[in-house]
Amino acid sequence: MSTRENSYTEAEALNLLAQLERILDLDPLIDEVGFIHPSQFATLKEEIGDSLSLEDRVHESTSFWIRDHKLGISTQILIPVYKAAKHAFISALRQYKTPGNFSGKSQDDTLAIEVMIHSKALLLLSCDFATAWNSRKLIVSNKRLLPILMDELHLSALVLSYSPKSEQAWSHRRWVINMIARNCSTLQWIIERESELVEKIAERSKMNYRAWNHRCWLVSFMTREQVLDELKKSRNWSGLHVADNSCFHYRRRLMLRNLEGFCYTQDNNSSGYFVETYQIWKEELDWNESLIKQYVGREALWLHRRFLSMYLIKHMATHLLAVSCQSKPKASVDIDIDSLMDHELCLVHSCSTTIADANFEDFQAQAIHSAAYMLWLTKQIPEYQGIDIQEKLRAGVGDVTRMLKRSCPDRSSLWDYLVGYHSEP
Amino acid sequence: MGELAADKHVKYIISVEKKKDSFESVVMEHLRLNGAYWGLTTLDILGKLDAVDEEDVISWILKCQDESGGFAGNIGHDPHVLYTLSAVQVLALFDKVDILDADKVSNYIVGLQNEDGSFSGDIWGEVDTRFSYIAICCLSILQRLDKINVDKAVEYIVSCKNLDGGFGCTPGGESHAGQIFCCVGALAIAGALHHVDKDLLGWWLCERQVKSGGLNGRPEKLPDVCYSWWVLSSLIMIDRVHWINKDKLVKFILDCQDMENGGISDRPDDAVDVFHTYFGVAGLSLLEYPGLKPIDPAYALPVDVVNRIFFSKK
Repeated sequence: MSTRENSYTEAEALNLLAQLERILDLDPLIDEVGFIHPSQFATLKEEIGDSLSLEDRVHESTSFWIRDHKLGISTQILIPVYKAAKHAFISALRQYKTPGNFSGKSQDDTLAIEVMIHSKALLLLSCDFATAWNSRKLIVSNKRLLPILMDELHLSALVLSYSPKSEQAWSHRRWVINMIARNCSTLQWIIERESELVEKIAERSKMNYRAWNHRCWLVSFMTREQVLDELKKSRNWSGLHVADNSCFHYRRRLMLRNLEGFCYTQDNNSSGYFVETYQIWKEELDWNESLIKQYVGREALWLHRRFLSMYLIKHMATHLLAVSCQSKPKASVDIDIDSLMDHELCLVHSCSTTIADANFEDFQAQAIHSAAYMLWLTKQIPEYQGIDIQEKLRAGVGDVTRMLKRSCPDRSSLWDYLVGYHSEP
Repeated sequence: MGELAADKHVKYIISVEKKKDSFESVVMEHLRLNGAYWGLTTLDILGKLDAVDEEDVISWILKCQDESGGFAGNIGHDPHVLYTLSAVQVLALFDKVDILDADKVSNYIVGLQNEDGSFSGDIWGEVDTRFSYIAICCLSILQRLDKINVDKAVEYIVSCKNLDGGFGCTPGGESHAGQIFCCVGALAIAGALHHVDKDLLGWWLCERQVKSGGLNGRPEKLPDVCYSWWVLSSLIMIDRVHWINKDKLVKFILDCQDMENGGISDRPDDAVDVFHTYFGVAGLSLLEYPGLKPIDPAYALPVDVVNRIFFSKK
């Protein structure tokens, strides 16, 4: 970084801050912020926003650029503006918090506005400056009006446009949503929009843990209909992002949530609910299989399958027993564990026998993942499911072990342990 | 195999400490206390804690304390458990934990425990299993663990366990090596490791090792030196570290060094920073690399520091 940042006087820095705040005020619809190297500003100079006055343009051409609600800030001025914003913010916050200043409502509002203006500028420059987010929470919690809360979502989205992993920005959204949940009835619509926002951000920022964590958090606010709807809606996206473990985890979260609902429903509809749930599971397994065959060697797909098989066998089989014992079996579903396992074994064998040539990394990965999947199954099958299955699995284990130790020697101890576990009587 | 450029790393850390006006330093000033913990613990592991002015550090830390008893990331900022733990850990390095009013700091943390046993990071309510770890670790160092409802805290952490044996931020959250370290560390300190399915979790953790020998934090991600700490310490705590190839991991970490200017980066040839320098050195310590002080996997402090806390004061 050049030392030219330090050559800005305090007055110049304050002027830059004022310009930034003016721009933010003039265009409340700014939805994207970017940081531009000074050398790139030359090319953008011609495209100055036409909503600004002439004298502003002279300054802004070197420091700020704005067009179509997109704001560009020169990296050269970042430190001076940051310092000015920080000082202005801290000073305003101190005054706002000073007990004597709460005398009149209008004075209180003026100070609050100052804090909001400076904190906004500060957060664009240092998005994890928690104290600034907190000051906004403090002020907003005194108002609690929906438009004001929506503004907070807007600011957070603006920050996420250039800093999609900002912990503070995501956390602020959850705080706002909790406020909305308490006071307003627009919650369901907001949850839907939040879910879409995450998907949009996830497109640009792959496997963004914070973004997906936020989406998982939303699930606890969803109705059963919304949960099933989300499963349907997010399917295509997942199919196009098969290396994104987070999006499959999200599907698991939705499916588990749906299952939770079933556990608590003990009425005449329970077998219908069960059939529907089973079908969702079966569909997911079939879809997963088609993806596994299409996208060779993708770990996330195999991990998803581990979960699906395990749940189907462990939990749904139990439910079928429970349901058919209680009432006349209305369910036309036939969960035959034996044939399920046969199917899985066939799948694993077909993946293992594809070309184990060292040059084809994907095929090798496929073989390793399918073998590990087989070991996973052997670990998950409870004893009472029948000797027959255990025999079939054990028969496959010998080949699997040899192959795994050859292709994945780093984990030899693990393979030994897992296989040794199952050869014990 | 390459070597650890210990002296270069010491010089690098001290230079970062002094360079407060770079842009990187300036936009990180709200978490400077975390930076102090990363830098100073690394120095201690390398046997060079005396390279800094203890008085200076401690007086600055104390200025970061808020009237609530909690610590902020820097002077004048809002308090949060993240910085409270770092403050206590750094004071522990200097054997100065007793200059604190332990009850005051503990009360701050105790006040953040929720009904379901979880912990919020600060008064604004965000819940995350990281904060559970921080609370338990911090109170344990202050010898005030009995002030919280430990059973409930454990119950909440267990509710964040996933089907793959790992742990997420909140119930239903994706398993992540960092979150797993926090949950396993918290359970270890609370004496509740029996809740962990060690084989299942060990399996998930050892699948983090990729071909280059480095470790990632989740499936399909690139390896990163910081996971050398989070995955490794978790494996050690559940006694499954023999399930990874340790030599390859050592090589990976050493390859992430900047041999000229000092410091360690997230992966080979990237820019270095204090965060990754700490995790690289701490990871090597866990791997018993020669010349380094041993580090405790749960407290993330040198073993002699932990022993000093628990065995010399009664």
